[in-house]
Amino acid sequence: MDIPQRIVTVWFPDWPVVAAGFPVDVAAAVMSANRVVARTAAAATDGVVVGQRRRQTQRRCPHITLIDHDADRDAREFEPMVRAVAEISPRLDVVEPGWITLRALGPSRYFGGDAPLADRLADRLTGIGGAETASLIPGVGVADGRFASSIAARLAVRQGHPVIVEAGESPAFCAELPIGWLQTLGESDPELIELFARLGLRRLGDLAALSAVDVLGRFGHPGVHAHRLASGADTRPSSTTDPAPERRLDQVLDDPAAQSSAVVFVAKQLADELAGSLGADGRVCTRLVVLLESEHGERSERSWYRSAGLTASAMVERVRWQLDAWIGLPRGSDQELTGGIALVRLTPDEVRADEGSQLGLWGGQTEADRRAARAIARLSTLTSQDAVTVPVWRGGRLPADRYEWVPAAMVDLDQRAVSRAVSGSGPTGPWPGALPSPSPATVFADPHPVEVLDEHGESLRVTGRGMVSARPAMLRLLTGDDASGWRRGRPRPIVAWAGPWPVEERWWEPERHRRLARFQVVTDDHDGYLVVAEHQRWWISARYD
Amino acid sequence: MELAVDLAALTQRVAPVVLARERTIPVGADLAGLFAEGGLVRGRTVGCQGPAATSTALALVAAAVTAGAWMAVVDLPTIGLDAASELGVPLERIVAVGTGGDPARWVDVVAAAADGFDVLLVRVPSGLPAAAVRKLALRLRQREVVTIVLGDPGAMSCDGVLHTDAPQWSGLGDGHGHLRERRVVVQASGRRLLRRSCQLAISA
Repeated sequence: MDIPQRIVTVWFPDWPVVAAGFPVDVAAAVMSANRVVARTAAAATDGVVVGQRRRQTQRRCPHITLIDHDADRDAREFEPMVRAVAEISPRLDVVEPGWITLRALGPSRYFGGDAPLADRLADRLTGIGGAETASLIPGVGVADGRFASSIAARLAVRQGHPVIVEAGESPAFCAELPIGWLQTLGESDPELIELFARLGLRRLGDLAALSAVDVLGRFGHPGVHAHRLASGADTRPSSTTDPAPERRLDQVLDDPAAQSSAVVFVAKQLADELAGSLGADGRVCTRLVVLLESEHGERSERSWYRSAGLTASAMVERVRWQLDAWIGLPRGSDQELTGGIALVRLTPDEVRADEGSQLGLWGGQTEADRRAARAIARLSTLTSQDAVTVPVWRGGRLPADRYEWVPAAMVDLDQRAVSRAVSGSGPTGPWPGALPSPSPATVFADPHPVEVLDEHGESLRVTGRGMVSARPAMLRLLTGDDASGWRRGRPRPIVAWAGPWPVEERWWEPERHRRLARFQVVTDDHDGYLVVAEHQRWWISARYD
Repeated sequence: MELAVDLAALTQRVAPVVLARERTIPVGADLAGLFAEGGLVRGRTVGCQGPAATSTALALVAAAVTAGAWMAVVDLPTIGLDAASELGVPLERIVAVGTGGDPARWVDVVAAAADGFDVLLVRVPSGLPAAAVRKLALRLRQREVVTIVLGDPGAMSCDGVLHTDAPQWSGLGDGHGHLRERRVVVQASGRRLLRRSCQLAISA
């Protein structure tokens, strides 16, 4: 049987919040799709945990600062850490910003053992960067196999010193740990872990005690993967191969690219070709070496690892991270970028059979998907990156809050699942206080001002108790602006209406507090509107078009 | 050499004609009756007008996007995604592009989008140069893109127009209830559409 490689893992807890520049003693969290992805220690003591929803977070910690996740920022800020580790051992894999693995064999022999190597890494990485990161202590773990090593690094953060699992001890080390680690490290789906727990497999050891054949029969490939990791036998899967050198793809740019979007465009083509040729063989790349070379001969070479495999867009994302980090280097650094990029090279360093992901009946990515991805890249260069957007579900009570348009370049278009929202519910179930469907087909990001009048032509008012002063009888559009004055349009009789449905949002935050009432209104020409009253003024927030 | 040229000319002549019926993208059952081909013919431009134009346009493309087509939405930042989702459009394959209201850029963007998308949902700005629009129309036909024009088609010429009319709301009373369902009459007209009308019910 193969012995798993000895791996050192360096892990920075809650990297996104560190990258955003928050000191540990300020309560702050980074949010993505309404969930916490990282939080500071101060927020953690108030009970904010990763995966929590925005509203729960604000309830537990009302003074918390919430900011949106930005993967590019994480990668950019992580570059000094990568460089520091590279001084100790240049052969490292970046799994994601905040998470580095490297092979222990060479460096540990050089520094006189795993413990001196781990201490050295921890010393070198403590207090790099500005004042915010001064109190940042990375976790360093050494163990056989990536999985055990990654757990060791996370335990090291809690214990405050490097955790070293002796050679051959990884199975025993894993056996005592809760099975949830498989989910924490992103190796298994939450559903599978929940199923294991319901079946009484609460520790990794319980799963490892089962026969691999039985696990395969009952749970398929994802189960075998979990079983292999739980057993501490974290060797490369047998289907893993080192690909032939001709898989390497490179593109020499005769006219060196001075703009990062041009380099990303080239990388996109290469990545599509690489993922396509691997996919045609039923393989997926797990480790990718990206080499960028400038016209003056400076090089940036980095190895990126992802156990689930890198899709074409994940590859492009890594190229972008690497390029951004390179551009952002301080002046006078080693290999500083001084000219345009002249060479982009993608080398798949490790590929394995793609058994985990279920492809569609006609293959993972259709020709239409590929054409669209190319067109998106083209449109981004034609307009600007921010002008080409895709919807991301955010949730909210008003139609304009429920989706956000984010630049297509920031999103992995292959791995996306935007909600199929049915009757006011999003991907995570119903949204309390949202309006019932059908939803308006035209939603105004900036609402149109309007006047709502009663039978006597008086402006209608909504009381603090959510009552209307009279029956609404007329709707009158206003055009113009505050500076040049408002002009009133033709009054239109209201034939049917309902409301007010009051909303009070963020009453605990004076500057973002909103208090409004919603009405559905149909006018005599059968136009349906969603009308909102806020601060005694009326707006059309959406039209049922 | 001469033989090769002759052969090439011959194959051109005897190549099977692709019938319009074969180059369609699917349309939901309630609107399919308006199209003689049973679906939207690729390369054509269809206008959607009237009080329920946006919902009709979304209902029109839902089946195609579900089947895997990508849709680009040009200059329509107001599109209601909840409504799209309720009408059956998967939001994963919608991409929005804004042109900032510049007519020259609008032509470029639509032409570039035609290369990669199967369906375009656009609002036409005013002041488009006529020559550029003619070239664009040719390109849209060649790329076999279905273009849906919302509202006033301006300088673009439509092969057919779906006009929505006589909307009837149900569910909303005088101070009670909420909007539940709307029925509109969709009237087709234009060169390439049957002169028919049908009822479209938009509900949850």
